[in-house]
Amino acid sequence: MSALMCVVAALSLAGSADSLDARTDALARQIRCPVCQGSSIADSPSSMAIQMKAEVREELARGLSEEEILAKLERAYGEQIRLSPKAEGFNRFLFWAPALALVTGLVAAWRVIRKGQS
Amino acid sequence: MNRSVLVVGLALVVPTLLLFTMGFVNAAKPAPKAPLVGIEAPAFSLTPSGGGAEVSLASLKGKPIVINFWATWCEPCQAEHATLHRAAEILGDRVQFLGVAFDEDPSVVDAWLKKRGSRYPTLVDPGARTTIAYGVAGVPETFFIDADGRIVSKFSGAIDPATLVARTTELFAKETP
Repeated sequence: MSALMCVVAALSLAGSADSLDARTDALARQIRCPVCQGSSIADSPSSMAIQMKAEVREELARGLSEEEILAKLERAYGEQIRLSPKAEGFNRFLFWAPALALVTGLVAAWRVIRKGQS
Repeated sequence: MNRSVLVVGLALVVPTLLLFTMGFVNAAKPAPKAPLVGIEAPAFSLTPSGGGAEVSLASLKGKPIVINFWATWCEPCQAEHATLHRAAEILGDRVQFLGVAFDEDPSVVDAWLKKRGSRYPTLVDPGARTTIAYGVAGVPETFFIDADGRIVSKFSGAIDPATLVARTTELFAKETP
């Protein structure tokens, strides 16, 4: 019985470590490597990226939320530390601009086709 | 028909041109100042590479501080080494100079400093926590902190004597009377 409990405990610990690694990796993919050209700290082999990823893992383990960690890094590095900028202000327009252009184009194309048929 | 083609063309071309124009306008703007400039410097408590008592930012409050993030393997850091240490020698107790070694074994830093000479402590930063807290994006970077513990300016790259003098003078100008 106690052996079974040990196995369950070991599996649970392994599971939480896996989950922490997965969360670290997911968050690291959102953080720009400050010494690289457009890659995340998850993808960069640079020592700065490795140290930052380790710091992210440690802070997640300490119980900080993803947003708290991003906000902390943003205070030190600026908004560009986020690989995907927040959808605020002019960024919001940029987020929706491709969809808006596509809809406008489709409507215009539909009108041209309809006029051509009539 | 021709009018419709014109409308479709404009609908596609105008937004694209607008985005390009905004891109150029943004590119022409001066680079934004470092986010930490003007606010309180992040606290730290680190051990000097040669051993000894920890040095904390809090313990140095009341005196202007120059913190240089560097590494022995970084060529620009080697180039500015003499400038920084000469300035520390001239300014003596009026300004506290500190080095923070990035991603280095303390023994390597210590051996390097013994060979090249050192006028101020270089601190070891385990896990680069302080380096990250200061938003360092590459070495060397030098931070100028006033007597109140506020970051007055930051310089990226190998610092030259004229810039070092100008930035350090700013620290005295900001000193509370």
